[in-house]
Amino acid sequence: MKAEFVNPIYQATSDVLNTMLGLEVTRGDLRLVEDDAIVGSDANVIIGLTGSLNGSIHYSFSEEMTLEMVRIMSGMEMDEIDKFVSSAVGEIANIISGNATTYLAENDFDCDIVSPQIMIGQNKSFSMANDQALVIPLETEIGDFEINLSVKESE
Amino acid sequence: MMWKDSYKIGVEEVDRQHKELFERLSDFITVLRSDGDWEPKIPEIKKTLSFMGDYVVEHFDSEEEYQEEIGYPEREEHKEIHEQFKSEIADFAEKFEKEGYEKDLALEFSGKLMAWLINHVANTDQKISDYADSLDGEDE
Repeated sequence: MKAEFVNPIYQATSDVLNTMLGLEVTRGDLRLVEDDAIVGSDANVIIGLTGSLNGSIHYSFSEEMTLEMVRIMSGMEMDEIDKFVSSAVGEIANIISGNATTYLAENDFDCDIVSPQIMIGQNKSFSMANDQALVIPLETEIGDFEINLSVKESE
Repeated sequence: MMWKDSYKIGVEEVDRQHKELFERLSDFITVLRSDGDWEPKIPEIKKTLSFMGDYVVEHFDSEEEYQEEIGYPEREEHKEIHEQFKSEIADFAEKFEKEGYEKDLALEFSGKLMAWLINHVANTDQKISDYADSLDGEDE
């Protein structure tokens, strides 16, 4: 999988979390996962990509960070990941992915996104859309999270 | 507070509507998430949901008029974004009618609406004011 898919995703993530939540996002070292399942976290949002790239973008957030993101948005204290919280975080991932496709299109990869699938629950593992995934570790002042990118160019 | 001054785009009428929209949504979410039985709340929820849907559409119309007035070059694209979201609201309205006014569906709707509106106001709408500012620059 090409690293050139990483920058559009990182750029979109950084832009969206900055404008929506006022967060600064920094990127850690990329990791390649092969022939293995993606290990999720407390809140997982999976967004499919179709078009000139095929695969999925998997966002995983800890419970603490998920609740804090929604607290920043709503101005209300959240004590559990209910439907309100999971839907709000799913929409954030949806917005990031939509913006990422705009950046990808600038690099001649035209893709569409498929509505998010949201899965809540600890230590779930997920099968990958392709046989490889790049893990993008990200850090913010309210917690660290990961984006697993499993895409390949359509034949 | 759900509304934040950083969301202001600097056009008084639009900012006033945005603030009102956020305040109404915030009140609605507070009612949704309050303790107590769900059933007795349904009539109020039903009324507010339909009001929120109408209010969002009204606000979109008024924002589109403003974009027309100032000759905002990306008004068609912006309108398209409004249309897409209106159709998502309509899908939810249909689901409520069909499946009943379940709490989880109401929570799902309000979570999505909140995140969508914050991004729209803090990001997409900001571009209108950037354009309006560039017009002011030309007048000088």
